[in-house]
Amino acid sequence: MSKTVVPVGPFHPLLEEAEFFRLHVDGETVTDIDVDIGYMHRGHEFISERKTFTQSIFLVERICGICSTSHPIAFVHAVEDVDDVDIPIRAAYIRTLIGELERIHSHLLWLGLAGHFIGYDTLWMWAWRYREPILEIFETITGNRNHYGMMRVGGVARDVPPEAVPPLLETLELVERKMDMIAKAAADDPVLRTRLKGVGVLSRQAAVDYCAVGPTARASGVAIDVRKDEPKDAYGLVDFKVIVLENGDVYDKLVVRILEIVESVKIVRQCLERLKTAPGPILNDVKETSAGEGIGRYEAPRGEVFHYVRTDGSNRPLRHKVRAPSYVNIPTCAASCKGIPLADALITLASVDPCYCCTERAIHIVGEGGVRAQVDLAQLSRQKTERLRREIHG
Amino acid sequence: MAERNHFLDGLEGKIGRTAAKKGRLYFEVAVKDLHDVVRHLFLGQGCRLSTASAMEMRRGLEVLYHFSHDATGRYYCPRVVLTDLEDPKMPSIAPIIKGAEWIEREISELFGIVFEGHPWPERLLTRDHPHPPDRPLRLRRKP
Repeated sequence: MSKTVVPVGPFHPLLEEAEFFRLHVDGETVTDIDVDIGYMHRGHEFISERKTFTQSIFLVERICGICSTSHPIAFVHAVEDVDDVDIPIRAAYIRTLIGELERIHSHLLWLGLAGHFIGYDTLWMWAWRYREPILEIFETITGNRNHYGMMRVGGVARDVPPEAVPPLLETLELVERKMDMIAKAAADDPVLRTRLKGVGVLSRQAAVDYCAVGPTARASGVAIDVRKDEPKDAYGLVDFKVIVLENGDVYDKLVVRILEIVESVKIVRQCLERLKTAPGPILNDVKETSAGEGIGRYEAPRGEVFHYVRTDGSNRPLRHKVRAPSYVNIPTCAASCKGIPLADALITLASVDPCYCCTERAIHIVGEGGVRAQVDLAQLSRQKTERLRREIHG
Repeated sequence: MAERNHFLDGLEGKIGRTAAKKGRLYFEVAVKDLHDVVRHLFLGQGCRLSTASAMEMRRGLEVLYHFSHDATGRYYCPRVVLTDLEDPKMPSIAPIIKGAEWIEREISELFGIVFEGHPWPERLLTRDHPHPPDRPLRLRRKP
């Protein structure tokens, strides 16, 4: 009796943070999945309780390198929630603008990686090519391509410089056009549909049971979006749709993200338009925080970021709890990976939007021990697409 | 808070000290009533468990569950206080909410709280660690 365990991780570029997936397989089929985290635990909550609120903004910004403004927005929402602090209208539009631009570049990053995973390298290269001008816009507005340092309790740190607006509008026009093209290509391409339709299905009930958030939940028919459910900043003032699909497979997760990019473009355009006339200032002077507790959240590209802050009236949090969206989305892989072929496991794991890699290995455990075989998971996935392509196109 | 009556109907006598503010309701519940409250919020009212947080206070260990009611954008946060600091125990809610498995394992590891009835009570962050730290978020409060 032998069983095969395919390890993905722990230190593995598939995942933004080091995690360890052990895929139990029977022949070609994944029978169980075991997730192990903690390799990158940096003690952010503990450190934050020793920093002032302003210092903590820079700390929480470094929790994630891709959606680096989601944590600061959720954190300042939590601190503002303690005392019901209002922010100036101009700051609200700037926060929303930065948050949505980040969603665009994060979804483009995922789109490219997902394309690479299944052997669509052209999609990978082009998606990242469209992401680049967004990062350049960020550099013009904030001085950094990532880690923008824009959020403050009571507003934002910088205004949007006028010279950043024309190139931003041009980039938005480009992204919108190309997303339209990719959405049509995804709908028309028989190989892509065969490859992704019905793969790694997360049922609506499983999404509810696992308390999944973001595109992972919305692709399974759970209509939750913090931007609509509790509209903060300028989200109550702009017009956009929440994209919800029903099937819960990888294809729907792909489509949700593509359509969300289009919605984000619309939001950014509206913010830029309103910023022409929205009066300053951009920061309310918050001198002190009273004793109490506050909950702050924000719809990051991957789902709801949750921050809880308890204060005793000093300038430091007594307790600061952070919950990132992947924390609740990754366990859903246990439901979506069961019973699928090994060649589909990689794209299913990646569909909750962790990072990505191509150096997967398999360990074949015979009886109690012994390592026998090595298989490249990415290669398996790309070979399956190639096989389908040949079958469909001859 | 008008929604409180509507939302917590059927839990009379199980809701302790309450603090309400805009869109948030924090309330204390006894350990024995936790399952009833969680069933009511999650299964009855369709709330989603955002997460749970624990902290050590002078009066004991507090575990605060954050339930999000996404249809209204409100939060309902039942709080359990464990006064036995040496051997804190409470029932696990993971058999009711699968999404609570990880956070209970994490709290158990960081604060030493035993969640009775948890389907897989292993350490979350230091499962393969040769020398895992002992309840790290409580060390600072040692006399």
